[in-house]
Amino acid sequence: MEKNEKISFKEVLMLHRRGLMIFWRMCPSIFFSRLCYALITGVTPYVMVYLSARLVGEMVGNREERQIIILVVSVLAAGLLLGIISDCIKRWKLYANAAIWQDKDRVLIHKLLDMDFAAMDDSNTHNLLAQIQQNAMFGGAGIFQIPEYFEKCVSAAVNILCAVFLTMGLFIKKVPDSAGTLGKLNHPIWIVVLLGMLFLTAMLACHIHQKSNKYFTGCIHEAELGNRIWGFFMFEMADIERAMDMRIYNQQDISLHYFDKNNNFAMLMERLAKGRMGLTKGLSAVVAVSFQGVIDLFICLKAWAGAFDIGMVTQYIGSISALYNGVEALLKTYGDLQNNAPFLRTTFEFLDIPNEMYQGSLTVEKRQDRRYEIEFRDVSFRYPSSEEWVLRHISFRFHVGERLAIVGENGSGKTTFIKLLCRLYDPTEGVILLNGIDIRKYNYREYMSVFAVVFQDFQLLSCSLGENMAAGKIYEKEKVEQCLVKAGFGDRLRELPKGLETCLYKNFDKEGIELSGGESQKVALARALYKDAPFVILDEPTAALDPEAEQKVYEKFNEIAGDKTAIYISHRLSSCRLCDVIAVFDKGNIVQHGSHESLLKETEGKYYQLWYAQAQYYIEEQERQNMWKKLMAD
Amino acid sequence: MNREKPKYTIWQNVQYMLAIAWKNKVYSVMALCVLASILQILSSLTGMLITPVILRCVEKKAPLITLFITVFVFAVMLMVWSGLSTYVECVNSWAGRADIRRYLMQMVMKKSCTTSYPNLEDPEVLRIRRQAEKAVRGTREATEAVWTTLSEILKNIGGFIIYLWMLTAVDPVVIVVTALTAVLGYMIKRRAKNWQYQHRDEIADYELKTWYILRKSQDVKLAKDLRIFGMENWLKDVYASVMTLYRGYFFRRERLYLLTDCINVVFAVLRNGIAYSYLIYMVLADNLLVSEFLLYFAAVGGFTTWIGGILDAFGMLHEQSLDLSIMREYLEMPETFWSDSKTGEKKEVPLTKESGCLELRGVSFRYPGAKEDTIHKMDLILSPGEKLAVVGMNGAGKTTLVKLLCGFYNPTEGEILYNGVDIRNYDRREYYSLFSAVFQKFSVLETTFAENVAQTDEGIDMERVKQCVEKAGLAKLAESLPDGYQTHIGRKVFLDGTELSGGELQKLMLARALYKDAPILVLDEPTAALDPISENDIYRRYYEMTGSHTSIYISHRLASTRFCDRIIYMNKGKITESGTHEELLQAGGGYARLYEMQSKYYREGMVDGEERKNIL
Repeated sequence: MEKNEKISFKEVLMLHRRGLMIFWRMCPSIFFSRLCYALITGVTPYVMVYLSARLVGEMVGNREERQIIILVVSVLAAGLLLGIISDCIKRWKLYANAAIWQDKDRVLIHKLLDMDFAAMDDSNTHNLLAQIQQNAMFGGAGIFQIPEYFEKCVSAAVNILCAVFLTMGLFIKKVPDSAGTLGKLNHPIWIVVLLGMLFLTAMLACHIHQKSNKYFTGCIHEAELGNRIWGFFMFEMADIERAMDMRIYNQQDISLHYFDKNNNFAMLMERLAKGRMGLTKGLSAVVAVSFQGVIDLFICLKAWAGAFDIGMVTQYIGSISALYNGVEALLKTYGDLQNNAPFLRTTFEFLDIPNEMYQGSLTVEKRQDRRYEIEFRDVSFRYPSSEEWVLRHISFRFHVGERLAIVGENGSGKTTFIKLLCRLYDPTEGVILLNGIDIRKYNYREYMSVFAVVFQDFQLLSCSLGENMAAGKIYEKEKVEQCLVKAGFGDRLRELPKGLETCLYKNFDKEGIELSGGESQKVALARALYKDAPFVILDEPTAALDPEAEQKVYEKFNEIAGDKTAIYISHRLSSCRLCDVIAVFDKGNIVQHGSHESLLKETEGKYYQLWYAQAQYYIEEQERQNMWKKLMAD
Repeated sequence: MNREKPKYTIWQNVQYMLAIAWKNKVYSVMALCVLASILQILSSLTGMLITPVILRCVEKKAPLITLFITVFVFAVMLMVWSGLSTYVECVNSWAGRADIRRYLMQMVMKKSCTTSYPNLEDPEVLRIRRQAEKAVRGTREATEAVWTTLSEILKNIGGFIIYLWMLTAVDPVVIVVTALTAVLGYMIKRRAKNWQYQHRDEIADYELKTWYILRKSQDVKLAKDLRIFGMENWLKDVYASVMTLYRGYFFRRERLYLLTDCINVVFAVLRNGIAYSYLIYMVLADNLLVSEFLLYFAAVGGFTTWIGGILDAFGMLHEQSLDLSIMREYLEMPETFWSDSKTGEKKEVPLTKESGCLELRGVSFRYPGAKEDTIHKMDLILSPGEKLAVVGMNGAGKTTLVKLLCGFYNPTEGEILYNGVDIRNYDRREYYSLFSAVFQKFSVLETTFAENVAQTDEGIDMERVKQCVEKAGLAKLAESLPDGYQTHIGRKVFLDGTELSGGELQKLMLARALYKDAPILVLDEPTAALDPISENDIYRRYYEMTGSHTSIYISHRLASTRFCDRIIYMNKGKITESGTHEELLQAGGGYARLYEMQSKYYREGMVDGEERKNIL
């Protein structure tokens, strides 16, 4: 996105209003507390300035002892009271702020959890998310700045109001006629001149300040790249998981080199800071204080001429610089809003990613006989961003209670087929039917209840074992235990002192347990069993297992599948022997379909090729040697 | 605040930072610090003096021209100070000190990447490492913020001295009371900070959890399970419960700070009361002009600020010094695996780069804290050019054996010899150069495809890259990538990168191992993610790939052992069987059993469904 283009005043406000509403719904008290804080901190100095001006006035004037004591006491009492009140509000504000700051990711998390899988799988989504997170880290730009801006605006407004009220006297009180030429200061033109100067200086200072900020935002792309380089090569590369490769391949050298080579941002910023950016920043600070001299002079002249006493001088100086600061803060904040607007756009672009999957409302009939028939009818699929068909004209019917093996080379479309079946994606062409009805017409959750899947890259969370099994906080203890035993986790379960309440992994619980690859797989399998769905799908469940454990999974397969329809995907073709039917995938098509025996008879077929690629090493000695010789000769 | 005694004192750490600045030729850092503090003192002084001084002109009805000049001079001074100090601050935050942190960051990273491997599993080292990494991680961390702290200290001490001198005209009682309230106020604030420090683990725990949930919710792998099993409400619940805990913590914290704040307000009122009484008394006794009253009153307030500032800054320096101390401890941690000039250990035995003989002699290895040996009294000789296969169950110690051979651990007992010399006598980093490896967990660089093969970004031999990629069966992919061999892998760094599948990555790792062309090739389950045809392809060309090099192949797929000269079967940390495939089959031990288990499904004969159910 172009960060430097001008965004209209209206859009800037609309974007921030929307952001504000998000926070408002999450926690209104961040705004109330900030409003109160702005009020109290806005008013306090004026009360103090007003009272101490009276005090000074009294000392210069009548010097009446009682009056002075009363004033001193009221200054102190006001200080105490206002101090305590403002501290209370400050702590309230900080509490609300800390809470919301921690909670800031909620918007993102909820969005991520609720979006379509297709959007989740889209790299654009992750790019946007990475940008949002980087912007937040980098100078805190984005939605999270909104409460801050709100407070700045409110407190500037309060300051301006109070200051106007306290400054009025400066223009109303007249220099006595005795003062001669200084009497000209009474002319109303001075009000216009001073206010004009005030606004001009504030605008100029802000303008220059904005300009200096532009140098920084102009480098944002370098900054982001620099940040990514920095995070990856300096920290992620040092990860313990990488330690062995790191040492064998001396990867620190290339990492350090990449880090050095991509130091553009730091060098650019250093040059800018020493040069144009630093100078403009300095200039903006100079302009900002320049107004103070003018106003000091004007006030002193009036006082000198006798328009008011010395006590009032402190008040006017204080209030008019507050007026100036208020105006400047308001303008600066608007500048900030303008800078922030593109980042907000990114945030909303992310939050507005549509859920495009059509969701019907049909419920899935709960059938005792588990007769859930699914049919693919001329289904083709390609990923949204790609031209290439991953699946082409697939027509396929699952038979209830059948065990189906899916085999094929990497990239032949096996996993995509499963993704369509589980409705993680919708077909690009064709339909999938459940008991004769297009699956899109079912309620999504309902449709999902038909499947229990163990994906190749399944994930368990660092929560208790029981919760992991039920994928929720509440679980049926007995059923969970049964499923774990059935999946072969029973022995380990008995060793666990806290049983199902044992935490998985040690991230959050020092007494948590680490699972080996095989054990995790068993838990994932048990989780699928617990769901007790009519379709069980196992995607490469034995990749991490040794032959004995693999054998056990094979043995259990029938028991696990029970009367359910089961699908088994594997690179180990031995597993095909467990299944009734095999579907062979090649380049997005189901090229063969049938029993192991019938497929092996097709010696020109893909299955024959796949099978013998593995089986040659296991078949009878004489035959093997012939095969081996033949293969070596190739 | 930290109960442990740090290794270095504050002063030593400040010296250390100065020395590093000097070494890196960043001379400006210290000068900028001093300049920044002087400018801030000046601007604070000017700000404080301006009102009283011009009031004095008014009060005394000084000539108008004097008034003009006074206001003008002050205004110009203010402009100069604030312009200069803004400029200096800007330069300071982007130049110099950032370079120093970058330098230290690189040192820490280098240390983490090259430290002796067992250190990575030592919880104490990991703790220090985490703290060292934190200390270099951001601009607010000790390695960069310490300069601001030093500058703060200078500024506050400078201000303190000047104000003290100004206040000499005032009764010492006022000064003492002021100083006392400032110190007391600081101590109370410190108590609250202490509380926060003691609860840092609690907060770190919550932070970890929310971070975990955020990370998991953006994980595409979990996204599938999440939708199939309907986990979204579970995650939202977990998140919400962490937030409740957070709010409870913040509530307690802010309540404590509120108390502290209120006590400080009372102190401030007390101090002002005394200052007012005294100064008003002076004015009423005609010993003080009203403008001077204002000046002194402001000076009393300023004086308190300076004292508080000094205390705060030293408190901060103390904390930063603890962080720096730990970082230094980490950087200076002795390395048992290297030639180390600090420990005086020298590992000078030169290493022959040609394929040599690798030997295990009575090697046992036990993980720290474990009750049993993972490898037990193992003897093994690997002659040059030999192709060895290692098989066994999960947990038999295969991966540990490989780690020992590669020199990631030293044996608990016995010795590992390379060309007859105990490998402890070699510099371990040099020893690593003997190996090309594909481990199960691999470290893919988020750089170009070619750089991933060559593992360097300079002087890549493209011919060889192409050959190796071809050998690993990846040539087709390489050519189909958008920028060919220059395509970035992964999207963590370069957004135009390509994500590779598990099988493709595994082949890429193989190509990388071939490119390195080291005398010993180690392959740990290198085909786990490959389909049967690619797998077979690699088996068939194993001899071509390994050439005359020694190779060690670990796999669950017993098919792979066929092209090895010798197979060792491991069980419970021991080699229980050793020989060729045929010999082991005849021996009828564990290997034969595993082989039978795997092969029965592949054998012809048991064809119909009935029979299948019988075997199961």
